[in-house]
Amino acid sequence: MRILEARNMKYSYDGNKAVLKNISIEFEAGKIYAILGPSGCGKTTLLSLLGGLDSPSDGQVLFEGEDIEKKGLAFHRKNNVAFIFQSYNLIDYMTPAENVALTSKLPPLPILERLGFTKEEAKRNVLKLSGGQQQRVAIARALASDAKVILADEPTGSLDEDTAVEITGILRECAHQMQKCVVIVTHSNDLSKQADVVLRLKKGELVQI
Amino acid sequence: MNFAKRAFLYISRKRGKTISLLFLIFIVAVFLISCFGVLNASERLSKDIRTSLGAAFYIRANTEVSMNENGESEVKKNSVNILQKEIDEIMETGEIKYCNPINYGYAKSEDIQFIPGEKHTEESNMGEVTALRFSALAPDFTDETAALIEGNPITETDNRKILISEQLASANHLSVGDVITLTHAKLGELAGAYIDEIPIKTAYVHVEVSGIYKLNIEDTAIKPTAGVAENEIYASLDVLNQLHESETGIYTGEVDFYITDPVQLESITRKVQLLPSIDWTTHFIRTNDFQYSKISDELQSLGGLVKILLVLVSIVSIAVLTLLLTMRIRGRLQEAGILLSVGISKKQILAQFLLEILSIAVLALGLSYIASTGVTKFLGYSLFGELQLNLLNEETLITGVKSGIQIENYLKLSGAKILLIYLCQFVVVTVSIFVSSISFMRLKPKEILSKMS
Repeated sequence: MRILEARNMKYSYDGNKAVLKNISIEFEAGKIYAILGPSGCGKTTLLSLLGGLDSPSDGQVLFEGEDIEKKGLAFHRKNNVAFIFQSYNLIDYMTPAENVALTSKLPPLPILERLGFTKEEAKRNVLKLSGGQQQRVAIARALASDAKVILADEPTGSLDEDTAVEITGILRECAHQMQKCVVIVTHSNDLSKQADVVLRLKKGELVQI
Repeated sequence: MNFAKRAFLYISRKRGKTISLLFLIFIVAVFLISCFGVLNASERLSKDIRTSLGAAFYIRANTEVSMNENGESEVKKNSVNILQKEIDEIMETGEIKYCNPINYGYAKSEDIQFIPGEKHTEESNMGEVTALRFSALAPDFTDETAALIEGNPITETDNRKILISEQLASANHLSVGDVITLTHAKLGELAGAYIDEIPIKTAYVHVEVSGIYKLNIEDTAIKPTAGVAENEIYASLDVLNQLHESETGIYTGEVDFYITDPVQLESITRKVQLLPSIDWTTHFIRTNDFQYSKISDELQSLGGLVKILLVLVSIVSIAVLTLLLTMRIRGRLQEAGILLSVGISKKQILAQFLLEILSIAVLALGLSYIASTGVTKFLGYSLFGELQLNLLNEETLITGVKSGIQIENYLKLSGAKILLIYLCQFVVVTVSIFVSSISFMRLKPKEILSKMS
């Protein structure tokens, strides 16, 4: 089922340097998409546009067939998509449970427990957690928002191999069991191998591999 | 999670940052309230001194110095000669609050043994009498050389009343309410001895001791008994009339006039000196502003200094506060980016920052109210402690006691003024937050997140 769509989307910095050229792509629920490409090719920009962190220079982003600009980008970010970043981006003065509760439409504790946290760990200072644990908190936050699309920017980039495998497993579970649409920007071939659809961004154009 | 809960979590978890901001706002508030307190005190003190302490001018007689046939200089002291109708004329010039005519004379009494002076004999056993309308306005009492310690002062409605010194009262076992008999006397000198020039007594008056005063200075000069300070008797005007030493409605000692506003002293005396009924070749005017000019200048320069200090403190505190808030909010760019990425609007983020900082400000201002009381008091006593002022007012005339200045009362700021200071601080803090937030409010969420990475 098509959930998110980029239609004739272009993006350039200061109206000169074209980063994305006329990109049209559809994303479906229940699938993992991996977007590969060299550094600086515009992968993160593409993810930002899909997530409503910025507006395209031209073209549209549609969520369930509706232009996200119509209800506003903040509405899109709050209700339709959830981000997972390489650097976790947790609020440092909040516990894991509070970080999850930031966007929570669902109770945070069961989600954290499902991702392997004990009740005590859920109340600990977030900075005292390991990298893997922090990324699991970020995933829990994404799940708690009940968004249909999860946009992950290098989610395993800061993690060791074993933890990266663990996080990849969770993201697969999100897509295949929870029927989320997971879009991952990555350099990792291991992670891209787990994707249902692999896309490559090169010279501003997106091609399916 | 709403912005209020996020604000609460930030304040409670980031204690170091909370305390540093609390401390800064607290210090600024204490400084401002204290400076305004001192400024308020200097302005109010200046006003009260001007209206309560007043000023006086005295009409006195000239002293003429001439050479005699032997080439020796002779000093001739003219007598004041002011009539009641001339006083009425002066009173009509306006702005004069009280008139205190004074007559001088001598008195003896079989009931009193005066404190002995130089070459004391039974004949020179006399005291000087200062008969006046208001004893509290006598120069000795206004300049605090003497102070009433018991009984009541002499006022214009009194008859046959006297004030005596505590030494004279003690030596003669006299107390307030006792009645003694005075007779006339005149100090003279004959062959090196002090004599009474009125040996045959024909005038007597029974007087009541209305009050007892004490002298605040010690007079060590060698003088005849009548010149000893402790022997001075302050009496109601009628006493010397009864002793045939003065006449009703004619004043021969000096005539003192009291006005309320020292600033008008010069213009009033100028008007009085134009009155033709008084012979100004034998009379002159001496003015006394009870150090108003000196005190007023001191208070004005102090007020000026405090104003400069206030401007400096205000500028520095606004600059420091804005800088600190800018640094604080810029340091939270990452947090703002995270919140934006999860769909929290910029307005809600700004509301969180506002709530956090204004909550801290409320606490700091509350604490500053308590602390500033002590600081203001300390500053007030350090700056105004040297001012030994006593206010001369209606109460002084009736009770004889001058009301001293209570610095504490002057340092207190009204609730409205304190609220205004707090309101200004709130405005400064709020504006600083808005100014500091411009940096992130203008950025797109993607730009914030790019800056973070």
